[in-house]
Amino acid sequence: MREGAPRSSWITRPAIALCLVLLSILVTSLVSAATQLSGLPAPDFVLKSLSGENLRLSEYRGQVVIVTFWATWCGDCRAQLSEFDALHDSYQDDDFELLAVSLDQNWSELKKTATELDLSYPTLHDADLVVSKLYDVNSMPVSVLIDRDGFVREVVEDHRRARGQSMSDRVGELLGDW
Amino acid sequence: MKLIKSGMVLAAAWVSQFAAGQTLPDGAEPVPEFLASQALAAESVGGDEADFRSLDTEIQDLKGLVLELNRDLFLLEEELLFPANTQVSIFVSMDVGEFFGLDSVQIQLDDKNLANYLYTSREIDALVRGGVHQLYLGNVRAGEHELVAIFTGTGPHARDYRRGATLSFEKGIGPKYIELSISDRQQALQPEFVVREWE
Repeated sequence: MREGAPRSSWITRPAIALCLVLLSILVTSLVSAATQLSGLPAPDFVLKSLSGENLRLSEYRGQVVIVTFWATWCGDCRAQLSEFDALHDSYQDDDFELLAVSLDQNWSELKKTATELDLSYPTLHDADLVVSKLYDVNSMPVSVLIDRDGFVREVVEDHRRARGQSMSDRVGELLGDW
Repeated sequence: MKLIKSGMVLAAAWVSQFAAGQTLPDGAEPVPEFLASQALAAESVGGDEADFRSLDTEIQDLKGLVLELNRDLFLLEEELLFPANTQVSIFVSMDVGEFFGLDSVQIQLDDKNLANYLYTSREIDALVRGGVHQLYLGNVRAGEHELVAIFTGTGPHARDYRRGATLSFEKGIGPKYIELSISDRQQALQPEFVVREWE
């Protein structure tokens, strides 16, 4: 240490370093475990859809799938679902499917909201939160992009990133990987 | 194709024969260079194709060996994790047409939930075609046990249908196989649910 350096710098610099370390730990812990699924096989599940049929993820092997987790009380989720409707329509004739997994406990509320949204793709009900735990969903909306081989390619937690052309481009890329 | 190749080889041989300065027979014309080179190329391509075919055969054989090994490992794993003296396997089979649309099967052993399986339309189709689904594989101690199976689905007249069936069995030394069978009972115009042991 240089002679004549102010005493306060003794405290300030280590304190700043400690704060930075704590901040980085905090930020790291806030990253959802769902993102850690990237590159891994998508955990298989079966859920009942609002139309009454049971749908199993592994039966979509060979198709590109987006599994999006949402709830009726989540405004961003509802907006995203409507945008995904357009995405589903544009790739309707391709090997692509969207599955909307709702974490609502109330079936009636879910049914009512789904009817209002009038989605063109299946809505599944994860009443026991088994699937959301499987995918470590801590926030919503979360969209999981799965390739034709059943591997998670990307987990999108920021709904702004899941919007419009960017997601459409990602789906188009995966559809071309065959 | 073979005739063309052999012709090219002959042409190449013709060229090589006269390459040392020998004169051509009267009236004969020299083989153009490009034809000779094509003949040589055709010979080497033929060799490559044979190599490729043998390599392909080797790869296919290897694939077969890997699949066999995988199967053997799977059986070994099953024997280690579920030894015969405690092993219990529960299977589901269907032979229905009209009276029952299966949705799910739940099984309890000695009041403990073992499995709750939702069936997709593809799986139901496989069952109806004669497939058998291994619903549960686990370990159970020797002695008396009670198995309860609850079948949920759509019954006659498209109404929600939920039925249970019970089986008391004695677990002995060997593995125990139990079948949950769903079939049509034409006389009663109702589905029939039977839980039975395989001897």
